[in-house]
Amino acid sequence: MSAMPDVESVREVLRQVIDPEVGVNIVDLGLVYGIDIAPGQISIRLTMTSPACPMGDMIMSDIDAALDAALPPEIGVVVNLVWDPPWSPEMMNKDARSHFGW
Amino acid sequence: MPLLLLGMLSLVFGVAAGLARLGADMPAPAAALAGWHAALMICAFFGTVIGLERAVALGGAIAYLGPLASGIGGVALLAGLPLPWVESLFVFASCVLFGGAIAVVRRQSAMFTRTLAVGAGCWLAGNMAWVTSGSVQAAIPWWLAFLVVTIAGERLELTRFLPARREAAPLFRIATATTLGGAVAAWFSSYGLMLFAAGLFGLSLWLLRYDIARHNARQRGLVRYIALCLLSGYVWLAAGALIGLVGGFAPGHPLRDAALHAIALGFVFAMVFGHAPIIFPAIARVKIPYHPVFYLPLALLHVSLVIRVLGGIGGGDALPLLRLGGLANAFALLVFVMTMVGSVLRGRGAGRG
Repeated sequence: MSAMPDVESVREVLRQVIDPEVGVNIVDLGLVYGIDIAPGQISIRLTMTSPACPMGDMIMSDIDAALDAALPPEIGVVVNLVWDPPWSPEMMNKDARSHFGW
Repeated sequence: MPLLLLGMLSLVFGVAAGLARLGADMPAPAAALAGWHAALMICAFFGTVIGLERAVALGGAIAYLGPLASGIGGVALLAGLPLPWVESLFVFASCVLFGGAIAVVRRQSAMFTRTLAVGAGCWLAGNMAWVTSGSVQAAIPWWLAFLVVTIAGERLELTRFLPARREAAPLFRIATATTLGGAVAAWFSSYGLMLFAAGLFGLSLWLLRYDIARHNARQRGLVRYIALCLLSGYVWLAAGALIGLVGGFAPGHPLRDAALHAIALGFVFAMVFGHAPIIFPAIARVKIPYHPVFYLPLALLHVSLVIRVLGGIGGGDALPLLRLGGLANAFALLVFVMTMVGSVLRGRGAGRG
């Protein structure tokens, strides 16, 4: 079995996934709630800014594609869409906030 | 995907019906539909597309019954089935959208989710106005409000990325309430439509001032393209509302074509042009990579609409101008569809599909 990547390197890969509406990546936007690494599998908890947003599936498949390209094929990826707690602007990191002029 | 095709079918026939309405030489089936242009465009096309967008987000099978019903309603209208069947299908579809919007509010109660519910409620109200009055005219303000308030709600959601401004929320409420109040008052008084127009004008100023689009217009590529679509649409919303303020929404008014289409084409379709490259992939699971050629149909839309509105303002003598603008509007939509299809193929060719 290949060595598992650490949380930070997974986060770095997820920075390639951009929210097309605003052009900022999902990590900086605070949409990634959790990254859990178990032997052979990476689980990601993800939220959307709105439950009415149809882009969830697409962003989830973008995540799959980005991780598939970056990781050895035997590592499984599970992405769970969660709504609790609801996303709020405080969840954006400093980069995203300065991008939007906070 | 089959549902999307049903919606597209209504778009094609809805546009053909619109051209027939303008007096263009259309095949007999389209000419027979001239009176149903608004129902085809708003209920059968936008009702289906917005219903589908919401169903993809909610993910439950029930949510798909809405766009299924409005899609079939469009086909029923095209097939000349009895009107009560058509109306029932649209009423059912709007109930599903409203129910779905309530489900979204229960998942997350916020001003933007409540606004989406109000927008869906406007569609239902318009359909009920149609059924009870027996005339599509009574539904028009509500149907317009359905599109404008739904879009405004979606935009409101995105303003949360920006630093909050204290006055923004109350101003939004005032503009939306004025719009709805005007739609209600239009039942009783001809001034109702002017109040309605004032509300829409307020919403356009709100969007121009507070929407994230002005920020995104300084970015690059797709983000900038979407933002410019939106900003140009807000200008059309303001223009349509101003024409409405001088009476343009009233049935039979010489500026009615200009007022309605500044909003339904200039505002709503600019939004469609901007968001198709991100919403269509979410619904149909294809890639639409950005290309600067996207600006071509957008420019065509705006130029053709300027011609049409000038034709409307010019009155009787300028009728050929209005027709020319209308034909060019349809051409802009065609170029847009071709651009999107071309991009889907390019997306596949790049091996990203």
